[in-house]
Amino acid sequence: MTITPQMLGQVVISGILAGALYAMVALGLSLIFGVMRVINVAHGPLLMLGAFATYFLYHGLGLNPYLGLPLVMVVMFGVGALVQRTLVARVVDAPELQSLLLTFGIAIALVNLAQLAFTSDIRSVEYLTASWTVGGFAFSKSRVIAGVLAVAITAGAFLFLGRTRLGKAIRATSQSPDVALVCGIDVDRIRMITFGLACALAGAGGALIAVMVAIQPEMGQIWTFKSFLVIVLGGAGNYPGALLGGILLGLVEQLSSLLLTAQLSEAVSYVLLVLVLLVRPTGLLGGRAT
Amino acid sequence: MHRNAAGALIVVLALVLSRLPGDAQAPLRIGASISLTGTYASLGQMMKRGYDVCLKDVNAKGGALGRKVELVSYDDRSDPGTGVKLYEKLITEDKVDGVIGPYSSAITEAVANVTEKYKKVMLTPLGATSSIFKKGRRYVIGVITPSEAYLEGLIDIAARRGAKTAAFIYEDTLFPKSSVRDPGAAVDIAKKKGLQVTFVEAYPKGTTDFAALITKLKAAGPDVFGAATYFDDAVALTRQMKELNFSPKAYGVTVGGDLPKFYELLKQNAEYVYGPSQWETGLPYPGEKEFVEAFRQQFKEDPSYHAASSYSGCQIYVDAVRRAGSIDADRVREVLLKLETRTTLGDFKVDQDGLQIAHKMVTFQWQDGKKIIVWPDELASGKPRYPTPAWTQR
Repeated sequence: MTITPQMLGQVVISGILAGALYAMVALGLSLIFGVMRVINVAHGPLLMLGAFATYFLYHGLGLNPYLGLPLVMVVMFGVGALVQRTLVARVVDAPELQSLLLTFGIAIALVNLAQLAFTSDIRSVEYLTASWTVGGFAFSKSRVIAGVLAVAITAGAFLFLGRTRLGKAIRATSQSPDVALVCGIDVDRIRMITFGLACALAGAGGALIAVMVAIQPEMGQIWTFKSFLVIVLGGAGNYPGALLGGILLGLVEQLSSLLLTAQLSEAVSYVLLVLVLLVRPTGLLGGRAT
Repeated sequence: MHRNAAGALIVVLALVLSRLPGDAQAPLRIGASISLTGTYASLGQMMKRGYDVCLKDVNAKGGALGRKVELVSYDDRSDPGTGVKLYEKLITEDKVDGVIGPYSSAITEAVANVTEKYKKVMLTPLGATSSIFKKGRRYVIGVITPSEAYLEGLIDIAARRGAKTAAFIYEDTLFPKSSVRDPGAAVDIAKKKGLQVTFVEAYPKGTTDFAALITKLKAAGPDVFGAATYFDDAVALTRQMKELNFSPKAYGVTVGGDLPKFYELLKQNAEYVYGPSQWETGLPYPGEKEFVEAFRQQFKEDPSYHAASSYSGCQIYVDAVRRAGSIDADRVREVLLKLETRTTLGDFKVDQDGLQIAHKMVTFQWQDGKKIIVWPDELASGKPRYPTPAWTQR
């Protein structure tokens, strides 16, 4: 099959839109890793909760999924802060395997609780199912809005991290918890807020994804993997790296699916992961500053 | 992920209905793994419900061999590896008297090795890939028409109305692949009917973003497009076809499109979509009305063919046990290989390998929110709406 510029353009658009979403979701994972050195395997299942919240707001209260998004983020911030304070805080300073086991347990618990509470039935939010056509390219409405909002939320998170006192405190804790503590930063509180923030980002991802794919308790796991891939590509704990990694992953997936086969696109992503680990183990933009 | 203890619990059907003699005897226990979570959950649930209604009927009629019949089932999470472990467990730990098939060809293929090893006859209501039965296995018996025939109706409808080109995609697992690629399956059928096959490609299980694949399909521009799917992917694919404005003259999916939920989720975007079915409500088969009635009453929805096949498969199995006068695998197998019958699902007869050869499939099209059977002519209740209009006009 000959690849026309038209096809290439269409696929690049899809890749960037998917990538923006990957970046936003992965930023949450990266934040937690940066500040606490915890790999949060429950990130995907938390995203799933965000999707269910959106579903219930839409079908229960008739709330537009995009208007519901801030609400979902607030709720998920609360969930995240609670999970951190009650569970994750106990293992932050323990060896990394401990926190991995803990978040793995949280992930299993969340998926199974969701199965009990919501059943495995597939649900969906049928909203904006069409697309805009510009210059012969189709722009899926739900994916464009998701991409734009993801970029906006990611930019907001960067501004928050770069400009505000709290954001600076988070970065300081990320660089060195001990020095931050000495400088009078309440490290425990920062960790709780960071976890909440990360969950809010996962929840936002869930809300945006809810409009695109089937909602069910096991929808989240794939996002844990994708987020993990993104932060390894971009550099774990390196926040702009998550943005780069996300867009890169989106493009690689879509382009390899176009130029090779859909079947190979997943393999290509993971080959890329291995290559990056071999050549630049700290990620394309380097790991977290120490 | 694992379901917790409460989730993966043994679903022992306490069938209070049977007020029969022989209560003193222990019930006959039939084991199965069913996909209640994971990719195949929607279909697995239909299967479970089909089994439930069957056992209720069976026990109301006195069970089998003077004993009640109950189902011991676990959730295999749509995973063949888990299915294998569960059948091992059912046979060696739970010591069930007999087994019955799980959902999907992939899981049937995997667990058939276990049931062969322990010499348990396994009637498989929803394992429909020919190769499962053609590996010299002795104890696996099919109920529904095998995979090769799934896209035949779609292709035939389009070919008879002037379609020139065809394209196919499939989830890269046993059944979808076989329904497109196997000798005598979709690609061969299309060629035989004079269509040019312009594009065939696989996609991994769990795919949610079909953008690049659809971009390629659009470039190939086929008149008829068949996708060998399960449920989630059929929904995601249809949505993205609309988004990317890929509108072939006829579009059909193999599995999933027949579930009422397909239309519930996609609404008018499901209109004009074709799908094969092993069975639909309203077909003139014995016990059809009673089954549909009982199913609706208990579950507040219409049964799909997955439910009907599980219902009839379970009936056929229990009936074979009754006729054999024993649950011994070899004797039940003898009966099943000779059996020629018509059930709620339609005709049943297998060849010496256990492959189903009598059952007939139909092809439906979603029209005004209803599945109208449009193929073959002798079972059709309406005409296909061909060609499919542009997305904006549905």
